[in-house]
Amino acid sequence: MTKQEELKAIFIEEAGEIVEKLDVDIIRFEENSNDLELLNEIFRGVHTLKGNSNAFGFTRLGEFVHHFEDLLDYYRSTKESIEENNLELFVESVDVVREVMRCELDSIEILPKSYAECLEKIKILLDIKKNRPKPVIEQKSEETLKDLAFEFALDTLDEQEDEQRDEVEKSIKFHQSIQTDGLNLYKIDLTLDSDSYKRGFDYFVFLKILGERTTHLESFFDMQNIQTLDEFKSDENSITKVTIVILTPFVYTEVEEVFEFLFDHEYSIALIAPLVVEQKTQAEVKSISSLSKTSETVESTASKTSTTSSNANMPKSTIRIDTFKVDELFDSVGELVIAQNFIAQSEKIRSIEDESINRTIETLSKITKKIQDRVMSLRMVAIKDTFEKMKRVVRDTSKKTGKEIHLIIQGEETEIDKTMIDNLSDPLIHIIRNAIDHGLESCGDERVSAGKDAEGVITLKAFHKSGNIVISVSDDGRGINKDRVLKKAIERGVVSENENLTDSQIFALIMQPGFSTAEVISDLSGRGVGLDVVKTSIEKLRGKIEIDSKEGQGTTFSIILPLTLAIIDGMLVQTADETYIIPTLSVVESFRPQREIVHIFKGKGEFVNLRGECIPIIRLSDVFDLNAKKIEAWDAILVCVETEAGRIAILVDELLGRQQVVIKTLGKSLSKLKEISGGAILGNGDIALILNVDELRPLGEISHV
Amino acid sequence: MQINGDEVTIDLNMSMDEVINFEEFIRPRIEYIEKIEVEENSTLTSGALLSLLVSIKKTRPEIEIPFLEKMGSTSPVHGTLHWTYHD
Repeated sequence: MTKQEELKAIFIEEAGEIVEKLDVDIIRFEENSNDLELLNEIFRGVHTLKGNSNAFGFTRLGEFVHHFEDLLDYYRSTKESIEENNLELFVESVDVVREVMRCELDSIEILPKSYAECLEKIKILLDIKKNRPKPVIEQKSEETLKDLAFEFALDTLDEQEDEQRDEVEKSIKFHQSIQTDGLNLYKIDLTLDSDSYKRGFDYFVFLKILGERTTHLESFFDMQNIQTLDEFKSDENSITKVTIVILTPFVYTEVEEVFEFLFDHEYSIALIAPLVVEQKTQAEVKSISSLSKTSETVESTASKTSTTSSNANMPKSTIRIDTFKVDELFDSVGELVIAQNFIAQSEKIRSIEDESINRTIETLSKITKKIQDRVMSLRMVAIKDTFEKMKRVVRDTSKKTGKEIHLIIQGEETEIDKTMIDNLSDPLIHIIRNAIDHGLESCGDERVSAGKDAEGVITLKAFHKSGNIVISVSDDGRGINKDRVLKKAIERGVVSENENLTDSQIFALIMQPGFSTAEVISDLSGRGVGLDVVKTSIEKLRGKIEIDSKEGQGTTFSIILPLTLAIIDGMLVQTADETYIIPTLSVVESFRPQREIVHIFKGKGEFVNLRGECIPIIRLSDVFDLNAKKIEAWDAILVCVETEAGRIAILVDELLGRQQVVIKTLGKSLSKLKEISGGAILGNGDIALILNVDELRPLGEISHV
Repeated sequence: MQINGDEVTIDLNMSMDEVINFEEFIRPRIEYIEKIEVEENSTLTSGALLSLLVSIKKTRPEIEIPFLEKMGSTSPVHGTLHWTYHD
């Protein structure tokens, strides 16, 4: 790659990021067009894009963003309120920027029609604006805004009723009152593990280090959990928590360095904002007899691993790293975890009766875990940006369908693997459009007559559940008509009339290819070609979709994803002396069946009747042609798993436990084995294969009884 | 450590090994020790000793430990310390 090509690649990447951010910011700005800081942010993005475009000879893009920048500059410098129709022009302009950039990059000669139209509108608006006297903008005084912020912060503190917390609060207020320039006030919470003394970390070690460069140091030891001598051990820490308040010239990173050898969960550091003294002008003092004093005790708790703190003393610093390098690092850490597990589980090493060796192994284990967590966190990004993009989707779909929609976003700080984020946008867009187009009632009157608000509600939520990440899209619309879905499925031969399907199985039918119950096909959704693609995309991420719906009340699509693509939470099972891993996400339950619930149907195989549901039994020894003595199902263990074609019961000899394993791809020769999705090296060095449960039983081969 | 009848006087500046030794000393004698005093000008240097004193007090609340009952101390090295516990 030549230097010029390298630079162009950087431009493309950066410009893409700017446009993506503009897309999100412009919608946020549309919601709150008084947010001047956001307007400045948009301006900065457009300004950077202008400079870069012209540098690379993308003159058409350069010209457009030049005028757009002028318009933004007008509004940000005059602080004039932006009219609704002009806001629409902003949104339109961002669309044009995206389109023109694509044309420039692909060397497309003909620009979209919207380019000239939008550019003309911008020019006209600028002409109008620049010939009009600038309105006087009344601004809220800075002091008033600060008052509100302080009031909020104090309210938060008022909720802290705990006695020791009161003492800490008093200490903070005292230290704020004596704080001078150049001194920072911190509140540090230490919750050391029980083995911290053995690792050489006593609370007093930290107090001593902090004391060396601290003007004021106060600590609060919570000794409530100390046991009587019967259960007490001096060399094991049993102090619940120690809170330290320090006034120091240390900046945040210097304070953090003091605790760098502790585990993340063992400490938290919060920078306490200094006391602010408002000085009113003489005119303002008229009604105030004395100088008012307001204290700010907002704690900007900074997580050790995240860089989300708004701490002014801690400038956010980032570097760009090729994701390939991160993946390589992750692989190496995976090897390290395997080696560490091997040491920890080795009978030979465990039999060594030497406390220092055992302690070192324990420390190694903790450090390895810490490294693994930190490397993992490199791949994790908040889902916030993806959710922000969905605002635009909701906005546009709302306009196209003419439906009033209120979007609720929850859990946007939930972190998810970067690889998954990149592949999540399209499925989410489809589900949201589907929810608005088909989920919500066709008009406000229909909703009102059903006892609902005219405005439909779409809720986008992300949260952790049982070691997975769930992203749900809910609407409060008409819900799915189960009977209609079933009727259509029978008509199309997807299921037979006598099949006994659960509600979730019926709802899942709408994700079958070509399946649509929509009476009217719109340009948004309803062709039945989307949900099956959504399902496939999510499955590629080793996730699954669940649908829950109540007629008249609404529908929820839940996308359930593993935390990361590199590690899987698996159930280790053994059959014929071989170990296999079943992804825990698929496991419903495991049990030893009673003899009377196991049945054999001629030509169809073995089944287990689990609470009225006949589930086919799959013997791993048959699937993999293992040389094993056949045992009866009631002498073995059945692991019931959810697959694409319904539930199956995997027959195994033994359950070995649940474990997180680093997934290893299999070589070319083994990749043809569709029943296997990968391999993993276990702690004892053994290799286990990860089962692809969907392939353990060919689709449609065995139907539900 | 000095033993004067049923009163024990300790130096607050103890290493971990010394704290463990003190624990081992106290355990069999917990029933007849009446008071634990601290040497003048000695400074507390470990959470382990503080925890042990609290544990002793919880085991036999009638033992007098004036240092512990002050619920705090000050040192030029470690600053001002406060502690809370219930018998």
